Amino acid sequence: MELKFDDGTLLLRDAPESVPYAEWDDRVDEYRSQAYRYQALLEWAGIWSDGNEQATLRDGFGQALEDTARAYPDLDLTPALHIEPRDYQQAALDAWIDHGRRGSVVLPTGSGKTFLGLQAIADAGVSALIVTPTIDLMNQWHATLTNAFGDQLTEPVGVLGGGSHEVTAITVTTYDSAYRYINEYGDRFGLLVVDEEHHLPAPTYQQIPEMTIAPYRLGLTATYERPDGKHELLEDLIGPVVYREDVDELTGEYLSEYETIHMSVDLTADERETYDEEYQLYRDYVDSHEFDLWKEDGYAEFLKRTSYDPQGRRALIAKQRAERIARTAEKKLDTLDNLIKRHHDDRAIIFTANNDFAYDISQEFIVPCITHQTKTNERTEILERFRTGEYSMLVTSQVLDEGIDVPAANVGIILSGSASKRQYAQRLGRILRPTDDRQPARLYEIITDDTMETYVSQRRREGVSA
Amino acid sequence: MLTANLARSRTTDQEIRPLFIDPTDGRYRETARELIQLFETHLDEPKGDLEDAIDELTVNDTDYKIVQGLAKLLKDECEFKIVASVDPHKIRQRLFEKANERYPIVRQPTLGEDTQKLEVYSAVADELGISLEECYRGMYADLEDNTRLVRIGTRTADQYTTDGVSSTSTTALTGSSDADYEHTDLTVDWLLTRYNLALAQAVLYDATEMRIRVWDHFGAVFSYVKLFGLMHRIYPIDVDGERVASTDQAAGYEAVLDGPASLFSKSQKYGIRMANFLPALPLCNRWEMTAEVLADETTGETRAFTLDHTENLDSHYSTGDQFDSDVERTLAQKWERSNTEWELVREDDIFDLGAEVMIPDFAIEHPDGRRAILEIVGFWTPEYLESKLTKIRQVEADNFVLAVSERLDCASEEFGRTADRVLWFKTGIHVYDVVDLAETVTVPSETPSGSK
Repeated sequence: MELKFDDGTLLLRDAPESVPYAEWDDRVDEYRSQAYRYQALLEWAGIWSDGNEQATLRDGFGQALEDTARAYPDLDLTPALHIEPRDYQQAALDAWIDHGRRGSVVLPTGSGKTFLGLQAIADAGVSALIVTPTIDLMNQWHATLTNAFGDQLTEPVGVLGGGSHEVTAITVTTYDSAYRYINEYGDRFGLLVVDEEHHLPAPTYQQIPEMTIAPYRLGLTATYERPDGKHELLEDLIGPVVYREDVDELTGEYLSEYETIHMSVDLTADERETYDEEYQLYRDYVDSHEFDLWKEDGYAEFLKRTSYDPQGRRALIAKQRAERIARTAEKKLDTLDNLIKRHHDDRAIIFTANNDFAYDISQEFIVPCITHQTKTNERTEILERFRTGEYSMLVTSQVLDEGIDVPAANVGIILSGSASKRQYAQRLGRILRPTDDRQPARLYEIITDDTMETYVSQRRREGVSA
Repeated sequence: MLTANLARSRTTDQEIRPLFIDPTDGRYRETARELIQLFETHLDEPKGDLEDAIDELTVNDTDYKIVQGLAKLLKDECEFKIVASVDPHKIRQRLFEKANERYPIVRQPTLGEDTQKLEVYSAVADELGISLEECYRGMYADLEDNTRLVRIGTRTADQYTTDGVSSTSTTALTGSSDADYEHTDLTVDWLLTRYNLALAQAVLYDATEMRIRVWDHFGAVFSYVKLFGLMHRIYPIDVDGERVASTDQAAGYEAVLDGPASLFSKSQKYGIRMANFLPALPLCNRWEMTAEVLADETTGETRAFTLDHTENLDSHYSTGDQFDSDVERTLAQKWERSNTEWELVREDDIFDLGAEVMIPDFAIEHPDGRRAILEIVGFWTPEYLESKLTKIRQVEADNFVLAVSERLDCASEEFGRTADRVLWFKTGIHVYDVVDLAETVTVPSETPSGSK
């Protein structure tokens, strides 16, 4: 019989009736099985060989199966790392190897899951697909993988997602892109790494592991259990939990101290006029209706109205316009001007909440810029140059967090930010490390006076201390 | 096609329906007209400006999903291009490198000591041999918002039609005469009709299975099934849509479409393929479609989505009615001029081969009921020919004639038992060679083929 990869499944040509894991496909008159049964099928046929071990051939059967499914190469990689694995990372890796390189590792956030991933990739010695839930995380993996393996690979680390479509021996992707393309590339990887794997058990995403033949699988998460109990699917798709480390054993390692300085600017006369006009439009609409915007229900009610009431729609646009004026106030650039003079010898990261403003600043002050539109390769390049000191400043509308190789800065400048507590806290933790004990790290927050921003800033600070 | 967030549909307990619009409704005609004009005035302008102008149209409009949907379909017909004299990534890199040596770069220099941005921009512009403006505007020319609208439908912006460098993809599309300028192929009717089709396609994004019934244009329909990677189970049906025992009695065909992994569980993964396939159905004069659409991902509940030829959907796909190769066209022309009782017809029988259906190029029919099937192989590799022959053997039709071009020197022994039914040709096929061969392979049948 022949084992052939077919559009995300395995076609078992001329298979005997005894073949396991297979369904008869009357559309093509052959047996078919799910792609993730690849290893099990080879084991059944007695031709599975794992690393150095010799395959144990079943009598007279080994030759009977022709494997044309596998399209993934072996790789010989050694991670170029500057740090030694910590004890629990080594223990997790060993446990995974002992389980036939299949299974999940549960480690708390910030404990170096990416680092573990690198070691697993080097150990497995086959091409690898790394699946992440967001483009941000995909970019961070790309930077880390490029750092660790870039010199040893014949082609750069591939990116599938966020506008890129390059598939190479080591490729990073998002859940969404992987779901979309896995039927095309499911035969190209011997190792599947799934970051934040607790998102995997969904009817769509679970087709990612189903449609790949990769015999080796590693799931990484801090929160394995799902309220709906569906994490039980992971055992079949990825493997068992092979290692687990609890949160309290690791906390307190990476907090750093910094001081926060709040600065405020006024709107220009023109800005103020437009702001008041738009804001009034919005307030009038809200006040003439019966919903309390400070409550979640109230705001939802407002949004609902905007979908059928033209005035409501106009009010929503007015609110967005007012917010935008406050976020991108002209005088913020003057204040930024002063801060840049003060800190041009430091390493500074400037945050904005929207892309346009980030690009304005990039052009105005000639500062490298990273937004979600920045292609993964250029993003990696800019961060690398920031790390080596070739660039001393950068402006970003993105959260640069959770990766192990995002370089530290000692000055952070928030020009505008969303009110998301989590995003804010992560931004702080990410950037602020004092350099050379000269001075404590500093965080500036520039907000526009007498606008909605004043309130948002307030709420944001409460969020962090809470 | 529409993005999922622009889909508009209503779900009831029984079914799911797209919220079609009435293409004769004055409101929508006005919106469509406005949008088309907007696109035309933004020819050669940055995409970001166009997007802003579209957004502006929706400020007071709760139908913004329709406006944005129509705009999306227009954008699909457009070409946006990066316009820069030097690779923008390179410009940025040089700017940041240079700037880093000169920080702080400020807006209000203190006592003339600090660098101003202009100095950096000019230095890099000189270095790259471009103007200051090209340097400044080129820096981020590759951002989506800064790309330029260079083509709408068949209409290309002036300077790009004559520009030798950028014309590779646009030269064939238009000239720049005044006559061309006055006409554009993107009309209000085109846009509104396409919109309804796109709404129907968007409902299919979550489809797990599609059942179709067609009574004509089988060749076109099944070539699109194959093109979009769908798998099928196929059943002959009569005029009322009832399944019949054999293709001889078939007036049409029913097919159940899904994908490889549908064998194991319902999957909406193939919904996008079904959406892509949908425009093939309106190529038929008579068709019906029922799709199972996932309504709730967690429970796996589905709703039925039905459509047929009475919905006035229009297809922009090609029927393939025109012969797909020169050889075929020439043969058809020669046949018309020839003097034979045999008649050359476009073949409409379907041979179900499992993984695909085969619909041969032609049938040759004699008034006495004899019938041969003719398949033309123009360009081929040994592998291609081998798979073609395997398929013909599968069909087990003895009245099959294969016309093969002599482009590759390949011994006729390799053709096995069908070799005597192979007609070799050099540049064109001769009518009487085909007729001779047909005379030898066919036997008079009692009744002419039932599908005719």
